[in-house]
Amino acid sequence: MATEPGFPSPLSISTPDGCEGWEEMYPYHALYSEDRREVDEGRLWFWNSMHFPDPMPAFDVVAIDAPYYALAGWQNRVFAVPPSMGIEYRIVNGYVYITANGVSDPEKMAERASYFGPRAGYYFENWDSLYARWREKMDALIAELVAVRVPELPEYEPDEIAFEDRNLAYFELLDAWRSTLRAHELMWQHHFEFLLLGYGAYLTFSDLCKTALPEIPDQHIAQMVAGIDVLLFRPEEELRKLAHLANELGVDTAFVDGDRADAVVERLRETEEGRRWLEELERIKDPWFNMGSGDGFYHYHRSWLDDPAIPFSAIRGHLDALAAGRDIRRPTEHLRSERDRLAEEYGSLLDSEARGAFDTLLGLSRKVFPYVEEHKFFCEYWFQSRFFNKVREFGALLAANGFLADGEDVFHLTRHEITQALEELCLTWAHGGPPRGPYVWPPVVARRKEILERLRDWRPPPALGTLPEIVVNDPAAVMLWGITPERLRHWANAQAGGDTLVGAAASPGIVEGPARVVRHVEQIVEVRDGEILVCTVTSPGWAPIFPKIRAAVTDIGGIMSHAAIVCREYGLPAVVGTGRATAEITTGQWLRVDGSSGVVTLLDSPPS
Amino acid sequence: MSEWTQPLGALTAADSGAFGGKATGLGELIAGEIPVPAGFAVSTAAFDSFMEQGGLRARVDALLAELDPDDIAAVHAAAQQIALEMRRDAVPAALRSEVVQRYGALAQHAGESAPPVAVRSSARGEDSAEATFAGQQETFLWERGADGVCEAIRGCWISLYSPPAITYRARLAATGEASAMGVVVQLMVDAEISGVMFTCSPVTGDPSVVAINAAWGLGLGVVGGDVTPDEYVVSKVTRELLRSTIASKDFEYLPDPGGRGTARVPVPRERRSEPCLAAEQLVALVELGRRVEGHFGSRQDVEWAIARRGAFPESLHVLQARPVTATGVAGSEAIADRAGKSALALVMGLYGVKDDDLPPVSGS
Repeated sequence: MATEPGFPSPLSISTPDGCEGWEEMYPYHALYSEDRREVDEGRLWFWNSMHFPDPMPAFDVVAIDAPYYALAGWQNRVFAVPPSMGIEYRIVNGYVYITANGVSDPEKMAERASYFGPRAGYYFENWDSLYARWREKMDALIAELVAVRVPELPEYEPDEIAFEDRNLAYFELLDAWRSTLRAHELMWQHHFEFLLLGYGAYLTFSDLCKTALPEIPDQHIAQMVAGIDVLLFRPEEELRKLAHLANELGVDTAFVDGDRADAVVERLRETEEGRRWLEELERIKDPWFNMGSGDGFYHYHRSWLDDPAIPFSAIRGHLDALAAGRDIRRPTEHLRSERDRLAEEYGSLLDSEARGAFDTLLGLSRKVFPYVEEHKFFCEYWFQSRFFNKVREFGALLAANGFLADGEDVFHLTRHEITQALEELCLTWAHGGPPRGPYVWPPVVARRKEILERLRDWRPPPALGTLPEIVVNDPAAVMLWGITPERLRHWANAQAGGDTLVGAAASPGIVEGPARVVRHVEQIVEVRDGEILVCTVTSPGWAPIFPKIRAAVTDIGGIMSHAAIVCREYGLPAVVGTGRATAEITTGQWLRVDGSSGVVTLLDSPPS
Repeated sequence: MSEWTQPLGALTAADSGAFGGKATGLGELIAGEIPVPAGFAVSTAAFDSFMEQGGLRARVDALLAELDPDDIAAVHAAAQQIALEMRRDAVPAALRSEVVQRYGALAQHAGESAPPVAVRSSARGEDSAEATFAGQQETFLWERGADGVCEAIRGCWISLYSPPAITYRARLAATGEASAMGVVVQLMVDAEISGVMFTCSPVTGDPSVVAINAAWGLGLGVVGGDVTPDEYVVSKVTRELLRSTIASKDFEYLPDPGGRGTARVPVPRERRSEPCLAAEQLVALVELGRRVEGHFGSRQDVEWAIARRGAFPESLHVLQARPVTATGVAGSEAIADRAGKSALALVMGLYGVKDDDLPPVSGS
């Protein structure tokens, strides 16, 4: 295998000052180590800043492990996708690096094909009924999680225990903890049941388009497939309706820019019309406010239910647009007709041989794509926000018993440490002896918080290790992370810096404007009108800020990434997958974004 | 009148034997309501008549008989001699009087007493094997007045006996029938910008794009290859500019200040690296390309010009269009390989599974 310089060895990364001991937050197997030096240095590891842009709190590692069991389990052990096994991860200085394990031996691939064919075929043929079954499974699982009761540990057990053969509180507590973790593992299992097949179908269609029409932009392929009425757009749609209602009821003045959501609610409560608006909000809140503000991989990615700052600020934005006489409705008819026109025009340019395959694959892609788009609402937003909230209940219990200074600190313990702490709590509750937990855990948490704070300032290199000669056609790597050989080579060459950044041309157009660098989800409320959003990655929960911005630039993501899709809908230029935009650009920096060629230029000053 | 000439708009494909391919191609464009500069065509019969008068054809044939096409010096000498012979007599008086009338009509159309015109050869069967050869035939730009036009027509005729043309025909062992030529006379477009466009990718054959080359001034630079043009690739489906390469266009061809012919002049420094087409013009060109393609039912190579005077898009003209022959269908082997396969087999193909290894699929 030829090696190309450009990426540091994963074992050469030094610990930032004051962060010594960061390794203790993470599983032993997630660390780069001497015993695996040779194999780890010989592979390419890229920073998964799409899912894990921030250094990982100890508990949040569940959101690495559970998805990666499931991704690889389905891909490698169930469907046996011929060239792709699974994603392997490591953590360095708190940041998650991943590599895709591939298969290249033709005999092995043929063997895997004999499993893949019938199994994938079964899913493709029965997609709609299997997806309906999936929806039922997910609804049941969310209900099950919500129903998990975290018991009090009472001085004396109630009579039912003595007279009605019930379980004791300690058992119920440990069982509730296990049920919570179990539900989380199961959710991720469900999450990947369809996803890789969906990606595979899309990539096959994309590959056909590029073979028959080599000049076709990726974004046009995406537009032909993307759903219009998908459920993921529904929460944003509900906000628009709420804005219209506020306008009709004449309560729009209650939404003062910069005010906290609870202050707005307080003001609404004062009037009859305001109370009517709040009733409507109450009616649609569950499920639509289960939308997340982040991607559900961190405990601080809260839902709109937990933190209404984003939806309320979006409603304010919609009200401004209405006041300015703009139509805030999503142009669904236009999107639909444009999607069909593209498909019809591209199809009509092909000869009959290619047309047959084009129609077949477009049909399959459109069949599988609702899942690809919608699963996020159920899994990443709805389930994950409820899951982290459930963990908060255990945190509150530990805090109430002095094991933690604050309930929120629970996220700085690993799931195994929480298990230990809960076990000790149960023991000491039962026997009444002195617990060690209150002496052990608070200093551990305090140190870890300090380390994480420092690690936030460390900028991880986009990739580590060795660039392989052939990058395997891994559906997850291409679709999720936009990892292509060209992209990697560009990242390798770009280590030196410069005044331009190159990424995927995700949404056409050229604009200039000041940058707003958003590294963490809580910063998105800082975005001002007319700024160019520069971020590691966006998620659908960010949709409300898009009407404010002039363009978007991301570190990571392919042309099917969220930022790309939303920018195309709003007609904003976007360049995604630049690898290092948030590292090179500072807020206020003047930029030119060319979403047609995928180039971002750092300019000296605004035009006079 | 109209024994030997016809307005371009009166010609259809059926007239290509009588007027040559270029003339009837322009006639077809006009029928398709494509904006083509007004003009008229001179029939091959006019050429024949010229050759018959005073025994000219016999003298020419004698010079060509026994000529060794590989003897370059001999071919050049014969070509020179033929040109001399052909210049000896005036063009037939009847043709001249038709030209006077047709040119007068053009002058009226242009609102000018002696408007400049382009005079081009229109060989028979231009889109066949003779297409490449046709390019070697003469074009006279910026001619004025009926006499100038007649001289240019004669110049086109003479170009039928240029050394390369003689050699080419001798090698093909073509009969005398092939050596007849029509001529096109069209109002000149005083082009501010001109170029060519392919209604598919010239490199990959991708039919979903229009590839446009453009430079300042008259089209000679782009067609002749001595000016590096800007290159634009535009989506035929959405009209988006997919990519462009802006060249340094150091020279341009302009009408000669003397009033006749053209001059090659340096482009002012500040305009050299300026893109010569804006978004609005690109969109109009793509629309035009699609109309030409739709009219002929095949991928087209279109020569176009944007006039210095007049409002856009009325200032945009097509000077010529011909079918694209030289690109293959993109990835045709890989596509043929996918024909008639199930979605699952196609997905497995993406994953590198060979046809022989495709497992039987359960269910229907």
